[in-house]
Amino acid sequence: MGRAKTLPRRLGLYIAALVIAIYSAFPIYWMVVSSLREPTELLTNVSLIPNVLSLESYRNLLELTDYPRHFLNSVIVAVVAVLVTMVFSVMIAYAVTRQRIRGKKVIVGAMLYAYMFPPLLIAIPIFTIFARLGLGDTLTGLIASHLTLTLPLGVWFLWGFFKSMPFELEEAAMVDGCTRLGAFLRVVLPLALPGLITVAIFSFLLSWTDYTFALVMIGSDANKTLPVGLASMVGSFDLRWGEIMAGSTLIALPLFAAFALMSQYFIQGLGAGAVKG
Amino acid sequence: MSSKTTIYGFLFVGLAVTLALIVAPAVYAVSLSFYQMDSFVGAPKWVGFANYAAVLQAPEFWRALVNGAIYALGSIVFQVILGIGFALVLNEVFPGRNLVRGLSILPYLLPTVVVILTFKWMVDGGIGIVTKAVEAMGLPPINWFESPGAAMASTILVSVWMWTPFVTTCFLAALQTVPQSLYEAARVDGTTAVQRFFHITLPMLKPILTVVVLLRAIWMFNKFDVIWLLTRGGPVGATENLAILSYRHAFNLFDIGGGAAIATISFALLSVAVLVYFWVFPLEDD
Repeated sequence: MGRAKTLPRRLGLYIAALVIAIYSAFPIYWMVVSSLREPTELLTNVSLIPNVLSLESYRNLLELTDYPRHFLNSVIVAVVAVLVTMVFSVMIAYAVTRQRIRGKKVIVGAMLYAYMFPPLLIAIPIFTIFARLGLGDTLTGLIASHLTLTLPLGVWFLWGFFKSMPFELEEAAMVDGCTRLGAFLRVVLPLALPGLITVAIFSFLLSWTDYTFALVMIGSDANKTLPVGLASMVGSFDLRWGEIMAGSTLIALPLFAAFALMSQYFIQGLGAGAVKG
Repeated sequence: MSSKTTIYGFLFVGLAVTLALIVAPAVYAVSLSFYQMDSFVGAPKWVGFANYAAVLQAPEFWRALVNGAIYALGSIVFQVILGIGFALVLNEVFPGRNLVRGLSILPYLLPTVVVILTFKWMVDGGIGIVTKAVEAMGLPPINWFESPGAAMASTILVSVWMWTPFVTTCFLAALQTVPQSLYEAARVDGTTAVQRFFHITLPMLKPILTVVVLLRAIWMFNKFDVIWLLTRGGPVGATENLAILSYRHAFNLFDIGGGAAIATISFALLSVAVLVYFWVFPLEDD
């Protein structure tokens, strides 16, 4: 809205901006600071800056708990979910934007509708199906349940993306002797790369942060992903806050790193209303 | 391979995946709601509408419906007010604006479990920073979870913190599309900033406001993880919404049909909201 002119207005603006920054970032700062304090100091000292920095909480977390195992599970689930989402959503989105056919409304409608599904409407049947298949409590079941979140996101976002992409590009390629598949692979996919990156980021975010489906689908300690594993530490660990905050920081870190490197994709995805949350 | 084969191949895959992952589970959930099932692998027994009758007769269903509405409404109102306020501030020019914009999005990126654990740590009765700050100010200690009202307020507080960035980002994008000439013309006419907000900004934001409120309403109504991690629906059911009730039926009480019936009812309620959404924003045909 332009530059605030008068001094009192400018001062008010700075204070408001400062309040927003502190409100948004302080809990995150506190999480990181708590994870870096000496565990003994943690329970006696609430100074805003710790006296000594210590990695003891991290050492305990990684050596004494199942955290590394849960981290690996989370990585496997998220990576597979992202890859499957990218492959299918790009195919579906491309097909529904480039052809006038009956099936397409079913797909787009169902995908959009899936945004509004109550979580238990998916969790109960998927759990039942996988339990009956003898695949209860497996990462495969969890990945399938995550796809019900990430695929609608991918199709919905790329649908908008392909709609705004001119048909002439691949038509020109096809006139030049490319097959439809060749035009898709050589012309459309490279141009769709920014959209695909956004889909990958948000699919990762959804899968990596999911608690609900992991709670339902996973029973054994060995197959837990990070959110459920960390949550169960609160009950069993007689409140080792240092370790819990270290675990929280390590879950958040990949997301913050991705955000710092690719913030324009985040903003774009958020602006498109792409994420369920 | 001809042009048509590729497209139809893609479409076939798309239909198969959509049916398997989205349509089939939803249909299966609805069908489960007509069966009595005490275990996930046992044989289901057809009971017609008995699950619905049982669910609708239980007072806890109506309590969960009201709780869910209070939670959704409370958290949306504050998210939208704060989101608009933040967007207005972040739309101004000041040094460090990009940094503050970045920081303001961070809560949205955090996994729910991290937010809940950090909140619990900050309000920890013994050594939490908030507890200490309240103590230092000479105020009586806050009971965040003990009373029904406090527990509801806490879940709303945490939810508002987490999802305000979504609203902020949507509005910030929308604000940038409002033509500056409108403000300049209004300024020439001697209007105040408040008048300009209500007569220019707010009307221009109305379409995005409708979308944001509808989407947020649906998602907050469905919310499971925040409430479950924070209060387990307690104390004595004071924060239990339909998602929690459905989960408890299916996975704690092993009344799978009942859990499916509750999920189906919330789905039906939301479908009304979705119809409104499509009515306001029709799906384009091209």
